[in-house]
Amino acid sequence: MKLSRREALKLGLASAAAASVAGCSRMPQVAKQQLPDKIEFPTEKPNETLRLVNRVAFGATPGELDRVAKIGKQAYIDEQLRAEESEPIALTFALRRLDVTQIDASELRDLPQEEIIRQLQQAAILRAVYNPNQLMERMVDFWTNHFNVYARKENTAYRVYTDQMQVIRKHALGKFRDIIEASTKSPAMLVYLDNQVNTNRGPNENYARELMELHTLGVHGGYTQEDVKEVARCYTGWQIENRFLYPRGKFRFNTGVHDKGSKRVLGKTIPANGGDKDVERVLNILVAHPSCAKFISYKLCRYFLGDAGSALEDQVAAEFTRTDGDIKAMVTMILNSDLLLSGPPIMKRPFDFLISSLRTFATDTDGNTGIQGHLDKIGQPLYQWPMPDGYPDKTDAWTSSLLARWNYSLALTAGAIPGTKANLEDLVERMQDSTNEGFVKLTHGHIDPVGASGRLLSELRRRENLPIETGQSILHETAALCIAAPGFQWR
Amino acid sequence: MKNQQEQWWSCDGKGVAGLESGTEVSPMDNSDHGRDARETHGRDAHATSDTASGISRRAMLYGAALSTISWLAGQNSALAQLSVNPNRGVRGDTLVVIFLRGGMDGLNVVVPYREDEYFKARPSLKLAAPNSGPNADRVLDLDGNFGFNPALAPWLPLYKDGKLAVLHAVGSQDQTRSHFEAMTAMEKGLARAGTGAASGWLARFLNESKPAESSPLRAVAFSPTMPDSLRGATSAIALTSLEEFRLATDRARAEAFGSSLKRMYDVDNDAVTQAGKETLDVLETLNRLDLKSYKSSGGAAYPTSDLGNGLKQVAMLLKAEVGLEVAALDKGGWDTHVAQGASSGWMTLLLDDLAKSVRAFVDDMGPTMNRVTVVVMTEFGRRVEENAGYGTDHGRGSAMFVFGGNVDGGKVHVDWPSLATDKLEGPGDLRVTTDYRSVLSELLAKRMATSDSSGIFPGFTPNPVGVFRA
Repeated sequence: MKLSRREALKLGLASAAAASVAGCSRMPQVAKQQLPDKIEFPTEKPNETLRLVNRVAFGATPGELDRVAKIGKQAYIDEQLRAEESEPIALTFALRRLDVTQIDASELRDLPQEEIIRQLQQAAILRAVYNPNQLMERMVDFWTNHFNVYARKENTAYRVYTDQMQVIRKHALGKFRDIIEASTKSPAMLVYLDNQVNTNRGPNENYARELMELHTLGVHGGYTQEDVKEVARCYTGWQIENRFLYPRGKFRFNTGVHDKGSKRVLGKTIPANGGDKDVERVLNILVAHPSCAKFISYKLCRYFLGDAGSALEDQVAAEFTRTDGDIKAMVTMILNSDLLLSGPPIMKRPFDFLISSLRTFATDTDGNTGIQGHLDKIGQPLYQWPMPDGYPDKTDAWTSSLLARWNYSLALTAGAIPGTKANLEDLVERMQDSTNEGFVKLTHGHIDPVGASGRLLSELRRRENLPIETGQSILHETAALCIAAPGFQWR
Repeated sequence: MKNQQEQWWSCDGKGVAGLESGTEVSPMDNSDHGRDARETHGRDAHATSDTASGISRRAMLYGAALSTISWLAGQNSALAQLSVNPNRGVRGDTLVVIFLRGGMDGLNVVVPYREDEYFKARPSLKLAAPNSGPNADRVLDLDGNFGFNPALAPWLPLYKDGKLAVLHAVGSQDQTRSHFEAMTAMEKGLARAGTGAASGWLARFLNESKPAESSPLRAVAFSPTMPDSLRGATSAIALTSLEEFRLATDRARAEAFGSSLKRMYDVDNDAVTQAGKETLDVLETLNRLDLKSYKSSGGAAYPTSDLGNGLKQVAMLLKAEVGLEVAALDKGGWDTHVAQGASSGWMTLLLDDLAKSVRAFVDDMGPTMNRVTVVVMTEFGRRVEENAGYGTDHGRGSAMFVFGGNVDGGKVHVDWPSLATDKLEGPGDLRVTTDYRSVLSELLAKRMATSDSSGIFPGFTPNPVGVFRA
């Protein structure tokens, strides 16, 4: 629902009133609802359960491991794949308070870019932390990087929320043909990859190239430089509406600057005078190309399985072809694969790390600049990767971020992040285990005497014998070390 | 010992104050004795590190003010003590890029004093030819054609020594004369802004060159925000001070936390623990650097400006050999539309700081300049003709400077386009005859072991400039 600014203002007042009546005026309600009276841990296969939740979700909230262990892997995966909209009401209200969720892109132009980027990140952080439909949030993370747009490029920022809703969230588990079509018409993408200046008089190849290289076929997907030029010709005239009295900011096909000649793409002829049907044909050709199934399969497998993904790529690619690019069918195959639990671990990207720590400690957060500042320092400020390839998924890209992760761990547990509070005492009260063991299990799933969790526990025990420095809190130290530890950097 | 410990604890960021009053061991001792003593402390402490009361090794490692490294001890011993892993990650030179933001007036910095047009176009801003009699405005001759603005006097010895090469009529293909567009083009390594790659050229250099062992300090921008040139690099940090590279909590907690991390990461089995150990190593090293007690070499005198402080910290990192490959620094304020001045005034102040800062850095580095290249660049030059406000408006070509032990120095490298009216470009600007990417491509090829820079400067075929030696 898009409203005018004035309407949004009214609604904002109304929803604030409703929120206070419902007792949901502050975010903390969301987290506290998730905290069970007793935090228990699975007795069987605890490490596999943690792995499962770390791969399907952004980490486990307290008690979640026990719940998942009890309902079983299959039921958990099925529950997440249903992708039901079951947003907690406090999350809904928190999101409604953001201009980006209420105001049309064309009116967001009045806000400074920094303010919009702040709100975009706030919405994403709140959803990733509090949406129980975690697989949806993971898929959003995946497609947001696959169809990366850089919010700091010119006036891209105020189009990003529309892109998120109409392209990414809408089709995250739908058909690939639908998500690519939505993306190809998305004003954010048209601006970001310069297609709005792609005309018959001066073709701009930027989008055409990335469409094939990064969105569909992959760099070795079999297209040539000539194909890039021809696809660019097909896209001439794909612009953003900017005429007076027209729906400004929406997609517009401008016949006047469209190249009407015939084109040849990947060996297939696109007849002259096709108008905006040119692009429909291009997308059909690309999505039907074997490289597309292979490339999307490669990326999905890599996202969920890391280095182990290559073993499943061909199967998932076949599933793409069999189901006509059904994303949910591909993801189902990946999640049900043994590789999900048996493959080597994947290093958490900064966003994974940060969100998983917030979930693990049942943290109350407003998702605002306090927490965003840390996300920035750790290296993954959202919507701010300049290149069209999205944030890197390789471990070695992120190993330089450890110091910032450690500093975040210290700040979070010391209550030094404005708007963000980890309720550590509440956790201790609800745990049956000793504080040390409980926190190791919360963050590492289990205690492996010869592994990272065992080293962590013995370090925590060693520290118990040290005198307390003035002003230090053992609990804060314990919690900080648990998420700063090497074991917590993996999923 | 107990007494001294308390002094160590209490000195807290005040440099060596507490230590100087210590009686048993003077860490400021320049002799080997001082170093031996430190190592002895380290061993003692290590043996008793599990007891809270001992001088813990943690105190040694994480006490930021624990200036047991004496920069006074002389290069060799300081280096030996600080070295994490010499040259780690660095394939070629360390590259230091200083970006002059606002558009430096190359014509009044490297003055073409043989050109009559220069004197005609700049009645109030002109500098005088080197042999023009007693005159405070005389330029410092470089090669019989060009002369330095007198504010660049500190650079003249470097030029004569062959450690500084000057380039002129350099620029991008950007025609907008917009600061933003022109800076964006140059920092992204493009002909003009908005024509493709969104990441920075330094970021692409870093991402394409994989060192054997990655350092968390491969690239440092001494800036509050990451400059466009480094955007997209995963191994770059932006900081305004090295003091930021520390565990951001009070000292007691940082020490305890740091030593716990050290234990937990002390297994050599995966990328994270490996990186953790390296980070802790660098942290440890940086924690032992104390800017206040750092003594530069070679009589280097850094100005207390942002640029001077930044370069001083680059020098510290280089000497500490923490794997620094790229340092990016800025100096703003070159948009001299009004009251630019000639041998005194606004631009002179900027040049004075620039000249003294870089000179101090070069002096400080000494022979190490053989594996360092400093580039000084700007987004565009300024109009040949001065304006009604005794300033200059946005133009095109400007000067560029490269420093290092392996530059073809003592020369002005230029394909001079002339200042004759019919040779000017657009509204009356010095034509760009050398694309800045030709200079940087050659730098990458000759000094940074990057034979193919086509991914760093996409779609560009460089012309030979001959300013760097392999």
